Amino acid sequence: MTIGPALRRGAFVVLPLAGIVELGAQLYTSRRAPTFDAWLELRAPVAELRKDGELVVIAPAWAEPLARRALGDDLMPVRDVARPDVTRYATAIEVSILGERAPELAGFREESRTTRGKFALRRLANPTPAKVVYDFVDHARPPIADVRGTDPAVPCAWNPRAPVSSGGLGGHPTFPPQRFECPGGEFFNVGVTVIADEQFRPRRCLWSHPFARGEIVTRFHDVPLGRVIRGHGGMYWITEREQRGAPITLTVRVNGDTVGSYVHADGDGWSPFELPLGAHAGADHAEVELAVSASNNTHRHFCFEADTR
Amino acid sequence: MIARSPAGRGRALDLAVAFGLGALYVVLLLRTVGDLGYARDEGFYFQAAQSYGRWFDALWHAPKAALAQRAVDAAWATNHEHPALVKSLFALSNLILQGKHHLFAMEGTSYRFAAMVLAGAGVGLVYLFGARAEGRIAGLAAAGLLAFLPRFFFHAHLACFDVPITTLFTLTVYAYWRALRDGGAAWPLATGVAFGLALDTKHNAWFLPFLLVTHAVVLFARGRLLGWNAADRAPFRRAIAALGSMAVVGPAVLVALWPWLWHDTAARLRGWASFHLNHDYYNMEFLGRNYWTPPMPRGYAPLMTVATVPTVTLILFAVGLVALARVELAGPVTAIASRLGLARASSALASLRGSGLAALPDREATGILWLGAVLISYAPWISPATPIFGGTKHWMTAYPFLALFAGVALQRAALAARLELLRARRLLGTRLVSLARGPLPAVAIGAAVLAAPVVETLHAHPWGLSTYVPLVGGATGGATLGLNRGFWGYATGAVAPYLNGAPPGSTVYVHDTAGASWDMLIKDGRLRRDLRGVWSVDQADYGLYHHELHMQGQEQQAWMSYGTVRPDHVGGLDGVPVILVYRRPK
Repeated sequence: MTIGPALRRGAFVVLPLAGIVELGAQLYTSRRAPTFDAWLELRAPVAELRKDGELVVIAPAWAEPLARRALGDDLMPVRDVARPDVTRYATAIEVSILGERAPELAGFREESRTTRGKFALRRLANPTPAKVVYDFVDHARPPIADVRGTDPAVPCAWNPRAPVSSGGLGGHPTFPPQRFECPGGEFFNVGVTVIADEQFRPRRCLWSHPFARGEIVTRFHDVPLGRVIRGHGGMYWITEREQRGAPITLTVRVNGDTVGSYVHADGDGWSPFELPLGAHAGADHAEVELAVSASNNTHRHFCFEADTR
Repeated sequence: MIARSPAGRGRALDLAVAFGLGALYVVLLLRTVGDLGYARDEGFYFQAAQSYGRWFDALWHAPKAALAQRAVDAAWATNHEHPALVKSLFALSNLILQGKHHLFAMEGTSYRFAAMVLAGAGVGLVYLFGARAEGRIAGLAAAGLLAFLPRFFFHAHLACFDVPITTLFTLTVYAYWRALRDGGAAWPLATGVAFGLALDTKHNAWFLPFLLVTHAVVLFARGRLLGWNAADRAPFRRAIAALGSMAVVGPAVLVALWPWLWHDTAARLRGWASFHLNHDYYNMEFLGRNYWTPPMPRGYAPLMTVATVPTVTLILFAVGLVALARVELAGPVTAIASRLGLARASSALASLRGSGLAALPDREATGILWLGAVLISYAPWISPATPIFGGTKHWMTAYPFLALFAGVALQRAALAARLELLRARRLLGTRLVSLARGPLPAVAIGAAVLAAPVVETLHAHPWGLSTYVPLVGGATGGATLGLNRGFWGYATGAVAPYLNGAPPGSTVYVHDTAGASWDMLIKDGRLRRDLRGVWSVDQADYGLYHHELHMQGQEQQAWMSYGTVRPDHVGGLDGVPVILVYRRPK
């Protein structure tokens, strides 16, 4: 028998079989993931597994909102959810479904693993966790910090009950209820917000829109220093991706000495910087200034995070 | 009483079956529309339809004033970047069926009904095309496989143009094919009218002349290659007549039914073309990456087709394509081989034809016409400059033809089953084999083949834009691969029951839902009247977030406005979140 007639003869078996196999696969794939409410049962085991300051990461990332709904802000605070990266965490709890793994925890070492229904909980240790001495974003409030403009010299007043302002569809990130407010309109403020980076991942940072002239300076008092000041800078990606804006400079000064600067160009995305502190390293009480400027401040929705470690 | 010939009775039966399939589909759409929210674009079309509706009303009561340029332009300027036919039908459906007869439980359904009827007509038409070209089993299978394409089913509910243009595109091709087959004046004229209606529906119609002229050229070339005879010449001559009608009648119908073009016609036609040839790029996720400016990924259309069209439908399409290709190509290839002096190949192909494995090509080159319709529908996405923001709806005009090929495969499989059963009569016994003579083989194969598409389609509702076929892991597989989970902000309808539990007078940030779409949910009674949509999450008690990769900044705005990363409510498919609702803490 030649192939043609054989295929013709087989078709009436193969085609319905293909349909039945697909039906079976449909029933399997549609029931594979946990239901939304099944996530609620995770709260107790994760709370038991997680210690203060430990990171909870969800794999795959698309399931994270379900974990946030189930675990709440105490187990998944915005500080962790919108983390700059994972280097500062000594331990992470990975909650995984469908056999997925979190790529950013690839270098972590597995300490324990348990299974709860369709969930796998893994406790993972960072082989080289960074020791963060001071997080500038966590301390951006008076009396530890103040904000001013330099040209003209203007103070930016702390408002503990500012009107929250969100940009809506395509608009700016939320300006929080506690922030330093500068003259010139609501965009000129320094406050903790979250921006979407080049992959639209959340990044918690200090909004710091430069003025038309001079610098917008956030000054921190009594800062204990590590060896370096390290951080990231970026803008809401929808603003940055057009690549039409002027570069932004973040200058870091310690006790009046410029220790370095980071220049952010449109298209860089959420990009890191690290500035060695030289002779200032290890100081117990330093004054640190983080000053932002741009030659043209049009749509310069700059936001940065920094720590010393 | 006039006695009908068997052929006439067959034609009447086909029309009745087509009507019945279409009607059943409309009933199914009406029964499932209640929990489907309004897509962003529907909001704009509601506004347009309301403007056109007021003009129709004025035309009825004071025609002279309504026909003045000022009145025409004022009414039809709304949403003039898209032609008027379908929006006019939305308007008339709302004006007459709802305004006068209160036929629908929800106001929005009265607009959607016109598109649903066109969806039903599309399903019926595909049956008719398949039945006339290949047989009733092919027609029935094709209609079923089209009706239960999950994405087609989703779009078939909407007061939009994508399913209507799919129907009118198919209608134009069908009328052209009937003109080729039957001759006379009626079908060429119908081709022109159908083309005009398609032009007045959506710009996908611009591809029809390229398709049909190319097909006519193929007819000509094939005739020259195989040697013309009188019977072969007729379809080509008829094709010229149909194309002539398209050139004359089509534009006339377009202008006649689109009042915006009644004045300043050339400039407005240019404006229409320019809008679509220079369309803005919107965002679309594909394989975890957000595309918002060229180059767009060339793999988008093929991969999204594989990921969203039931796999069994695609397998059937491939089998049907091969079956028809053998019919269409054996003659020309033999002739070419013969001319090139490839005697051995030529005689092998000739013996293939003689063996009955490859029949003589049909005079209308139906398979080539169908394949052309598939290819022309996908052709724009070969260019990396073509936007992809509309997902699979962009090339939905291919799907009826894809289904027709699949129908051919199913018919052949049913025939093969019957033959095998008859061959096995000694083994199976006469009684069992007698079943082979009836519809059982076709019904059994059809049921086995259609089960998965039907289950996938109905299971996905109302999350039609979030569904993916099991081949890529279903909805969870799509999410993990980084394929778009939805757009247009339509998922608000799915969280209406949750929102209706909000305290009186609550405000809701509507995110991607258009204002007019939100208003329609209120008019329908699906949302409480005291709930107020607002445009910024900081002004709202509840914040909606329709997930799209590039929209995640919207969710982050809610976190910082409400001081929590915890959504209060989640909606989605198979464990995949599609819409989140944040609630301002007390």
